Amino acid sequence: MSTLLEKHIVELLQERNDKAISLLYEHYGDTLYGVAYKVVRDEELAQDVLQESFVKIWKKSDSYDASKAKLFTWLFRITRNTAIDKLRSVNTKSDKEIQIDVSDVYNLGVNSIRPEFMDVKENLDKIETKYQIVLDALFFQGMTQQEASDELDIPLGTIKSRLKIGLRELKKIYGNTMLLLPLISELWKDVMSPLF
Amino acid sequence: MKEKIRIFLDTDLLEKYLIGTISEEETQQVERYIAMYPKVRETYDELQANLETFAKMHAIKAPEGLKARILERIKAQNAGRRRFRRYAIAASIAAFVFAGSSYFFWDQSQGLIEENTIVNNKIRDLEEDMREQLEDVRNQFIVLNNPQTKKYVVKGNKKAEELKAVAYINPVKKLSYINVQNLPNLPENQCYQMWAEVNGEMVNLGVIKNVDDKDKLRPLPYAENAVSYITIEPMGGNDTPTVQNIVANISY
Repeated sequence: MSTLLEKHIVELLQERNDKAISLLYEHYGDTLYGVAYKVVRDEELAQDVLQESFVKIWKKSDSYDASKAKLFTWLFRITRNTAIDKLRSVNTKSDKEIQIDVSDVYNLGVNSIRPEFMDVKENLDKIETKYQIVLDALFFQGMTQQEASDELDIPLGTIKSRLKIGLRELKKIYGNTMLLLPLISELWKDVMSPLF
Repeated sequence: MKEKIRIFLDTDLLEKYLIGTISEEETQQVERYIAMYPKVRETYDELQANLETFAKMHAIKAPEGLKARILERIKAQNAGRRRFRRYAIAASIAAFVFAGSSYFFWDQSQGLIEENTIVNNKIRDLEEDMREQLEDVRNQFIVLNNPQTKKYVVKGNKKAEELKAVAYINPVKKLSYINVQNLPNLPENQCYQMWAEVNGEMVNLGVIKNVDDKDKLRPLPYAENAVSYITIEPMGGNDTPTVQNIVANISY
């Protein structure tokens, strides 16, 4: 599902128009900030990570290949890798171990959620914590199912089935969101058209 | 085939590829599977959608001012790049100019070195020439000033009545010179040549060039009872004198 907005941003990136960064931030800034925060668990570090990620996104914009990944997937990879590098460099400095705190997965203050994502946040509550933990291990911690099994002390078979259910639940959510997408992109077109 | 896809999907490779924690080699493998099997492509697309949804669920309001700072950094980056490009262009031009002028000066210096060698050689030649001429003049002076030097006025025979020459012979110093004053004009294909018969051998003294040699004293080989001849020869001179063309002779 490549929206009109995504296509437009990609075009701007390839034209090396820095309006792309502004649009990317508007559209993905908070989500990517959330990704950075999930990894580094520190607001200041997360801000550094977001800054560095956007610089990388800008620098690497030529290398984005829409046939290989969705725009968000590409942004996510850059941000997550930047965050992990940041954490490594900080940990090397302070000689601390990376703490993976899976209990923090659903521990988000409601006021830190943007209103646009409120419905998504509500949906998040629809997914049971046990599924969220597995999804979190997969998407944010970058664990293999075996690693998640070891780390969470849950049998591999259970991990597999929880992941399956978790993904199905997620699909339900974005499935609903997708119904709204044509509407949203129409809206965007109206908003953006004076700028084009 | 289905089994192969199932095994692949079981490996976590697709998930690792999704979030970008995969080696270059594995990336190629995954991309091959995505391209080849629609089932894998479908799973990958679903995972991408799931990732976006899940990540959006965890969105956190980024602090105020962060956007401005990021945009500023991007602008600085662009300016830096532009500045760098400008510097790079300037540096390239400077390097080019430097290389060009270096080559120019090197070439010039090579030229000067060559010229210097030529000039030095010329000076040496001139010095040698001068020394020779000076020696010559000194000898002439000695001959001319010596009281024992005898002066012979040479006149041409019928073939060249206008020919006038003066020979100076000094039997003591054993030096002799001849000064050809006037020579009648000859057809273009002929010239005057001087000879000397010394101890029974004929010596070629060379061709006389009308104008240039007028005031020049030409050395003659000295010998007792030598005879000098002036003959008319074909242009460029001859190996042996043409006896019937003798226009003057000087005995001394």
